[in-house]
Amino acid sequence: MTGTEQKSPTPPRRRLLMAEAAQESLAAAEPGSDLQLLRGLIPFARPHLWLFVGALVTMPLAGLAALLQPLMVKGAIEATLVSRSAAALMNVVFAFAVAILVEFLGKFAQTYLMQLAGQRTTAGLRRAVFDHVQRMRVSYFDREPVGRVVTRMTNDIDSITELFASGAVTAISDVMILLGILGFMLYLDVELTLIALLAVPPLVLAVNLFRRWAREAFRSIRVHVAQLNAYLNEQVQGIAVVQAYGREAECAEEYRSINHDHRDANYRNIRVDALLYSVVESVATACLAVVLYYAATAAGVLEGGPAVAAYVGTVVAFYDYIQRFFVPIRDLATKYTVIQSALASAERIFGLLNHEERDSPEVPDVDRAVEATEDAIEFRSVTFSYKAGQPVLHDIGLRVKRGEQVGIVGATGSGKTTLTALLLRLYEVQAGQVRVYGQDIRALTREAHRARFATVPQDVFLFTGTVLENIALDAQPDRERVREVLQRVGAWDWVTARGGLDARVEERGSNWSAGERQLLAFARALYRDAPILVLDEATANVDSETEARLQHAVGEVITGRTALVIAHRLSTIRSLDRILVFHHGRIAEEGTHDELMAREGIYARLHALQAVSEGAAAE
Amino acid sequence: MVAPLAAESTKTLWSYLRPYGRSLAIGGVFLLLTNMVDKSIPWLLQHAIDALVAHDLGLVRDYALVVLVLAAVMWVVRVRSRIYIFNVGRDVEFDLRNEIVEKVHALGPSFFRRMPTGEIMSRATNDLGQLRLLVGFGALNVANSLMAYVGAIGLMAAISPRLTLLALIPYPAFVLVARGFGKALYDRSRDAQAALGALSDRAQENLTGVRVVRAFGLEPQQNERFEAANEQAIRANMRLVVTRGFMWPALMLIGSIGTLIVLWQGGAMILSGELTVGQFAAFNAYLGTLVWPTLAFGYMLSVVQRGRASFERVREILDAQPDIADAAAPVAMQGQGAVRVSGLDVERNGTPVLSGVSLDVPAGQSLAILGGIGSGKSTLAATLPRLLPAPPQTVFVDEQPVESLALRELRQNVAYAQQDPFLFSTTIERNIAFGLGHDDALTPAQLRERVRAAADEASILEEIDNMPAGFDTLVGERGVQLSGGQKQRLSLARALLNAPRVLVLDDPLSAVDPRTEARILEALDRAGEGRTLILVTHRVAAAERMDQVVVLEGGRVVERGTHRELLAAGGRYARMAARQALEAELSTL
Repeated sequence: MTGTEQKSPTPPRRRLLMAEAAQESLAAAEPGSDLQLLRGLIPFARPHLWLFVGALVTMPLAGLAALLQPLMVKGAIEATLVSRSAAALMNVVFAFAVAILVEFLGKFAQTYLMQLAGQRTTAGLRRAVFDHVQRMRVSYFDREPVGRVVTRMTNDIDSITELFASGAVTAISDVMILLGILGFMLYLDVELTLIALLAVPPLVLAVNLFRRWAREAFRSIRVHVAQLNAYLNEQVQGIAVVQAYGREAECAEEYRSINHDHRDANYRNIRVDALLYSVVESVATACLAVVLYYAATAAGVLEGGPAVAAYVGTVVAFYDYIQRFFVPIRDLATKYTVIQSALASAERIFGLLNHEERDSPEVPDVDRAVEATEDAIEFRSVTFSYKAGQPVLHDIGLRVKRGEQVGIVGATGSGKTTLTALLLRLYEVQAGQVRVYGQDIRALTREAHRARFATVPQDVFLFTGTVLENIALDAQPDRERVREVLQRVGAWDWVTARGGLDARVEERGSNWSAGERQLLAFARALYRDAPILVLDEATANVDSETEARLQHAVGEVITGRTALVIAHRLSTIRSLDRILVFHHGRIAEEGTHDELMAREGIYARLHALQAVSEGAAAE
Repeated sequence: MVAPLAAESTKTLWSYLRPYGRSLAIGGVFLLLTNMVDKSIPWLLQHAIDALVAHDLGLVRDYALVVLVLAAVMWVVRVRSRIYIFNVGRDVEFDLRNEIVEKVHALGPSFFRRMPTGEIMSRATNDLGQLRLLVGFGALNVANSLMAYVGAIGLMAAISPRLTLLALIPYPAFVLVARGFGKALYDRSRDAQAALGALSDRAQENLTGVRVVRAFGLEPQQNERFEAANEQAIRANMRLVVTRGFMWPALMLIGSIGTLIVLWQGGAMILSGELTVGQFAAFNAYLGTLVWPTLAFGYMLSVVQRGRASFERVREILDAQPDIADAAAPVAMQGQGAVRVSGLDVERNGTPVLSGVSLDVPAGQSLAILGGIGSGKSTLAATLPRLLPAPPQTVFVDEQPVESLALRELRQNVAYAQQDPFLFSTTIERNIAFGLGHDDALTPAQLRERVRAAADEASILEEIDNMPAGFDTLVGERGVQLSGGQKQRLSLARALLNAPRVLVLDDPLSAVDPRTEARILEALDRAGEGRTLILVTHRVAAAERMDQVVVLEGGRVVERGTHRELLAAGGRYARMAARQALEAELSTL
């Protein structure tokens, strides 16, 4: 073995799961335009300008109060050694008491104001991200995992908050303190200050060097932690495979080898951290040695006792200042890390904010003319695909008259649900146009267009909250009307049994059964009282009582409206004016129930299929 | 037979520290040295200042040189003490991690039902972090605080017992306040986390319900709801900030009160000649060295509390009882792979999943198990390789009860592919070769040959060859997204790699389109050659190809026979066949 290549303890073994790509370090992408990123934050910080100003004003106040304290100790020593006066001593003691009180109040005010400003700034940023996401097209969320978008609003924003809490902003205060200490030291003794400052360049060099090592170690730790977590996560999720193939020992060994590297990276980090942490106290102590040595030399030229005695106070105060001087220098390294991570987050957040994919964008050259027509809905040769080259709808032509109730049936994947999404303009058609009340829907704002529809989507979505909120969906719910619509869809007895209008709805409605959720969705559509109803109802496996209720509820919601009803149970649409049969993205058959049955085509077969399934379920 | 949730406490935290006792002891010695050097500096300061006042300048210079040397010594010993003690924290973490993964491997489904993945991960990350803080950081600071106290107070008392007592007046308040703040900080940071969690739930809900939000034009209301959560998060965070912002200045203030007392009383003592200036300066310096240890001590109290709670949570994994134990004196497997099940009853949480199921599949024959959701067909399949526990003497391979066979050998011979095929996020080759152990010494070329053969047998070879990187293609989040049918066949290839005697496939046709189904059926025909095949399925087209068919319902066998016999019987199986025929007809129109 060469000794240079033995990082992993098990090099000759074939790796079971670890892929080379997983070993790749997280790209060390230094954001190119840090300043630009920080500038992006300004519009969000501006409304809270006064908070920032307040923090920046209290900052030097607290600093001054802290830095005067060593001078007061010097004063106390002089009072006892030089003037030998108890009254002078009491004056110093009193001043000291005031200084520590001012320091306390100033520090508190500074932290409070700065943090409040930071919180408000990042809350504004978070609001902007949320608002931006509300205007994104639905297709964006088909591609982007929900978790990732949520992370932008939570973790990434948090790391910017850290910038205010412990990062860049306190660095400003640190710099002020450093300058303040420098000023006081110069005031005490210029020559001694210059000598003591000789320790600064080597310290800064050392901190810089350690910081570079620390960053390397830190990055390596981060990569290994990610690997460890990913590995364990996969082991738990794929436990059946691991056990079925008896690969427990091999996987444990691989995990151990990542764990080993992780521990070693941590050893490195501990070493660097210890060196950095300890260097400050030693440098401060070495400075004390310098001060004492210098004092011995300086005192040699001083005349008489009182002058020497006065010098003692200077030595003690110097010792104090020096101890305060090096800590901020050391902590700059940590602050740098915080800033780095905030910048990385800012880059991701602004990446999202700058990503324009507007829902229902204005189309400049769209025909805005309103035709006089009887039709409520018209699809004119509409073609659509989610993925290029795989059309889901081919050249669909379809008209629904005002007040007409049309049923749509077809196998899974035949394009029925896509049709309703296009009607609401959740997606943009690729060819053809969708017209509502004689006008191309792209001529309207999204609010104006969607206000004309009430929908019951395939996958009923309930929000966390109460039944009332879920049905009314607006800020001022009309309790009386909510009760009325619940009664009309036949859900009132269920709801009262659960505690009435204020009954809780848990996350995604998990405390309500599928049938109940469906009824609540019907009530929601009824409450909305829109002229066009789009119903995509897919409840399967319900008992016969629920079935009867749903049947009744469908009748209630479509009465007196233009309705497009997609139904999985054919009985639901049997009595509608017209039925369209979708097949592979085209309208294959069209007519009333009786006409379609007589054709003995797709509809008739779907019907037969349902009869067999229901026969099986009834057993 | 109910396994206890957790066995009696088997190991204490000390037992994890014991192997590193030597490092801890060395670290402790260095810590002691650090404190001795640290405390000698004010002592030197005292004498140097007194010498300065006495104008004994040569002596002052000597003291200055000693201080310089001690500064260097202090750096070395302080660094060593931190390295030795903090490393032990990492060592304990290393051991615990390994133990957790080993334990997870040993545990069965009853554990994973009780503890979801997220919960296990949270214990392996957050709780382990708390524990490490307790073991490394906690140990160092507790020891350091004690040493600092004993040293500094002793030396202060040597200067002036009276001044020491006076200066220490604020310190009990110090400890109490630090502790109180520690708890408040913990509570409030938990509240802030919860508020952030609620905020994240809001965002999550908005995004998962995006279609409803858009269809009903709910954007304004959603913005309002989010804004409310946002405000709530600011409030919770500010409460945390106020505590934190109040804590440090308050603690500093208490510390400064000690200094104030020294200035006042100590100054008076200098005036009255009871104290020299050097002693006064040294006394002040000693008091200064107490500030950090006192702060740390208060903070440590909450670290210890949380660390202990975290250890309990980690132990819930480490002490969990496996469902299945390997045979104590395993019998060697021999035979061609005949499978027999006799009177098998399986319960889950007191409700029967399988009742009196019996099967007999001679070696080399094939069996289809059909049934609806919840019929128990997957449970039945998982008992064969003993992935789920079955009562003794109910499941046999080659007439040996499975519990008498070595687990590893059993599972190598009874290959099992689960319904929802799990692929690791690594290359396709590694996924297929997963069943090969390290002990199978193969050259990369031989390995590739075997993997290709298995892929061919599973009818996926051509598709893999057409992928950008072939067998080196990464699957999963960072790689290629595979279709359901491709995953099913990769899983099949993995099962075939070791040429098992018995192949158990749990519904390889769930959620695949008809074209893929045809390919998998073709693969099954080949895979069944020369071995026992047990196929769980809901597809009649697949069952048709098997020698025997059983239909499960509610955990019982309700129909049994060949495909033809069951069709003729006109029962459940026949109805399923009729429905699937109609569906097939529709899809070809």
